[in-house]
Amino acid sequence: MSLAAPAPAAVARAPQVPRAASRTLPFLRSLLGVLVVTVTVLFLASVITFTLGALSDSNPAAAALGETATQQDIDRLNHEFGLDRPLVVQYFSWVGNALTGDLGRSWFTTIPVTDSIKTALPVDLSIAALALVLALVIGGGAGIGAALSNGGIIDRAVTLVCSILGTLPPFVIGMALIVVFAVKLQVLPAGGYVPINVDPGEWLRFSILPALALSLDVAASIARQLRTSLVGELRENYAVGAEMRGFGRRRVLFGHVLRNAAGPTLAVIGLAIPLIIGGAVMTEKLFGLPGIAQLALQSAEKGDVPVVLGTLLVTAVIVVAASLVINVLQTALNPVARRGAGTAKAAR
Amino acid sequence: MSSQPDHQPRRTLEVTDLQVSVGDHLVAVQDVSFTIGRGESVGLVGESGSGKTLTCRAVLGLLPATGHVDRGRIVLGDGADTVELTDAKRGTWDRVRGLRLGAVFQDPTSYLNPSLTVGHQLAEQLRVKRRLSRRDAHARSVELFAEVGLRDPAGVFHQYPHQLSGGMLQRVLIAIAVSCEPELLIADEATTALDVVIQAEILGLLRRLRETHQLSLLLVTHDLAVVAETCERILVMYGGQIVESGPTEEVLRSPRHPYTQALMGVATIGNWQRRKLDVIPGQPPAAGAEMPGCRFAPRCAYASARCVAGAVPLTDLGHERSARCVLVDDLSAPSVQEVSA
Amino acid sequence: MKTLKALWRIPSARLALLVLAAIAFLAVFGGALAPHDPLKQYTDEVLQGPSSAHWLGTDYVGRDVLSRLMAGTRLSVVGALEAVLIGALLGVPSGLVSAWLGPRLEWITLRISDTLVILPFTVFAIAVAGTLGNGLQQAMIAIGVLMSPIFYRVTRAAAIGLRRTQYVEAAELMGATEWWTLRKHIWSKVLPNVAVTAAQAMGAALLVVASLAFLGLGITPPAPTWGGMLSADLGYLSQQPWAPIFPALLMMATVGSLNLLADSMRDVTGATTAPRRRPRRTTARPEKQSREEQSDVVPA
Repeated sequence: MSLAAPAPAAVARAPQVPRAASRTLPFLRSLLGVLVVTVTVLFLASVITFTLGALSDSNPAAAALGETATQQDIDRLNHEFGLDRPLVVQYFSWVGNALTGDLGRSWFTTIPVTDSIKTALPVDLSIAALALVLALVIGGGAGIGAALSNGGIIDRAVTLVCSILGTLPPFVIGMALIVVFAVKLQVLPAGGYVPINVDPGEWLRFSILPALALSLDVAASIARQLRTSLVGELRENYAVGAEMRGFGRRRVLFGHVLRNAAGPTLAVIGLAIPLIIGGAVMTEKLFGLPGIAQLALQSAEKGDVPVVLGTLLVTAVIVVAASLVINVLQTALNPVARRGAGTAKAAR
Repeated sequence: MSSQPDHQPRRTLEVTDLQVSVGDHLVAVQDVSFTIGRGESVGLVGESGSGKTLTCRAVLGLLPATGHVDRGRIVLGDGADTVELTDAKRGTWDRVRGLRLGAVFQDPTSYLNPSLTVGHQLAEQLRVKRRLSRRDAHARSVELFAEVGLRDPAGVFHQYPHQLSGGMLQRVLIAIAVSCEPELLIADEATTALDVVIQAEILGLLRRLRETHQLSLLLVTHDLAVVAETCERILVMYGGQIVESGPTEEVLRSPRHPYTQALMGVATIGNWQRRKLDVIPGQPPAAGAEMPGCRFAPRCAYASARCVAGAVPLTDLGHERSARCVLVDDLSAPSVQEVSA
Repeated sequence: MKTLKALWRIPSARLALLVLAAIAFLAVFGGALAPHDPLKQYTDEVLQGPSSAHWLGTDYVGRDVLSRLMAGTRLSVVGALEAVLIGALLGVPSGLVSAWLGPRLEWITLRISDTLVILPFTVFAIAVAGTLGNGLQQAMIAIGVLMSPIFYRVTRAAAIGLRRTQYVEAAELMGATEWWTLRKHIWSKVLPNVAVTAAQAMGAALLVVASLAFLGLGITPPAPTWGGMLSADLGYLSQQPWAPIFPALLMMATVGSLNLLADSMRDVTGATTAPRRRPRRTTARPEKQSREEQSDVVPA
């Protein structure tokens, strides 16, 4: 079970029905499999991140002191930051510290990287979460509408809008939203931020445009996948059977079909999480939000390697964690994976 | 709507002059009329492509997207309970299906939602259609599971479809279909995919349910033997038309249509091993093929110029029997060997 | 060549090919044909609307928008092309090889591809810029590396499907060398999948390159690119709310054409970019039929 397969694989229908007679606690086994994959992916992500740092020719002295740095200064600072140790030792101390929540200190300000990330991260996470909710509502609604009108006007409109959204970078969508809602209608602010714990209402007012800009892309993917799955599932015999039992359209859709169409759609959402996090970076710049991307961009300009690596690693961890949640949800939706085949097959 | 004269038995389903076409006006079913009385069991027999499944789908309102009813009437029930199913709207269907009309199909696995327990799916039927409480629905479901012969019904309630065998799933679907005491149960090749022993068990179950639930049964099958075992009356379809109908026993004793005779030649009643129909030489006509006369003529041993001269009507032979053949009067009981030779 | 002819018969593919040919033309000659120097600042004509002198108006320092669009095509397209090439060069060989690797090595390559998939383009590109320096090459390498899993997965799926087909086995039995088997039989089946993926990836890469330009990564400011122009327009949305429309339209046309082309190629060649998925259900019946026929060609 992969954490994040590319899109096509995700289209495969969730409830496969293997009649495997394996009786070895399949749930625990699949859990273990997911765990092994997760740990491996996190390890590889940390290696990639660390390699970037190791390949970098910037060092704290050059970064902090610039051209005037003497060899003595360089050696002193390199020693201070532990850069004179062998790479393997550096890697394991970096990862070891990261596991305890210590990502090192900035070469410039010597502020702990974790602290900087801690202040910036809630901005992105809250907006990404709002974006995800919006994407689910918009994409879910559009997908269901398109599937129900299959071939009709709503279907064609949704397909068209989805294809257009797919040809634009997310920041252009954000710009269009700014033009409409901030410049023309002047109902929402074009930039700025109020933390959610300070004033939730204001937070929503400032976050709704960035979140919307972020969500439309994902909403399009959700709508497209949901439409395809729903149209397919509605043709399945069990949907015909539910109709045959005298269930109304709504019950067939929400009680029977949606549940099975949700699996592939969840997979698409899982794939969209890196997109949302990556897109959050862009909306931050677009709307002037004090998020993790501003931190990373500013640090990247200065060559502040520990901060840059810290943001990359934290991003990777967030994406992996989110994928894990999606994975669990998928398993929960699929009785074959949940209970295992054949465990309770009664003898006729 | 004309009510039935009093001396006739109460009617469950009446299909009159049904014509169904598929795709670009390919007439796949034509001139099909039959009645099913209260508590009666009728077998609809024919090869694949004979139009039997389309007929039954039309009655259920489940024609494929490309198919539609061109002509004819479908009426369920009689007297005050009459429901016109011709061109019925979704709302009408939702009131009829499940409550008055139940159906089971060939591939039971595919007709159950893979991600819901079978108990949930039966209980849902009772809760939605019968407005039972959760607790009552559960209790009644377990009763029904026991009634259709599932062992450990309380345990089966919590099983998912993939955990049960095909025979068990068909029992589950039958339980769902009869749960709201419908007047008519339509079984479309319901036993075809099952192995012989289980097939016999399911047919036994259907016979039992007919008695206990005063159920009318429309059994659609390609298997003459299944009809012989289960049905009081038989309708033989060929090329989209009914070619012979009558009480099962009499039709099988003295078939009046060469096709019925040919069918009997290849399906020895009582012998479960020989159930294939493709032994009749030749091919059935393609759906929508334009044929002026008898549609069986190209494969018929007795065919003559008379057969293809014009449309052959269904001739009433008395004793509730009828056949669609120009030779019906001459053809009393020719030997089967001649036909299949 | 046969494929190209078949593509030409599909109207949407023809349109896409024409648009892409125009874009390619702009990429090569756009700079030379531009009516103005894309870098020249007409300081007394800042933020002008469309006029006879400047057909699409001028930007915030008075540069001609049309000229910048034409000249900017090359950097935008070449950047994306480079990223896709890197992705294909990394992904296709590893995908082919992984089909013949043992399960352990295969597992590891799959996990590497998982890891690259979870890294967001923008964050990774920022990190690369911060550690390896901010330049076009670094940015495109970063994008290419993150794109390689798509090529890896697609190639691998096609190769695995074919590894078990009889004619490959037959070729091996008849004593054909491994390399010949690979080249002659596999490649002809893998190539359509790679081509479809490349067209899709090219569209995606254009968007990513634009996004990076918006963040100030990859391409340094005075040089014109579509993304850079969009980014510059952001500051002047209240004065020129329509300005982003021109680069956005150009980008939409290009990316849309690439997507159309990918779809048509899939239909024409019967490529299945989807590993292990059920036949796609479409409302168009004949299309579905042809898909099913094609799926018989590549047994999984």
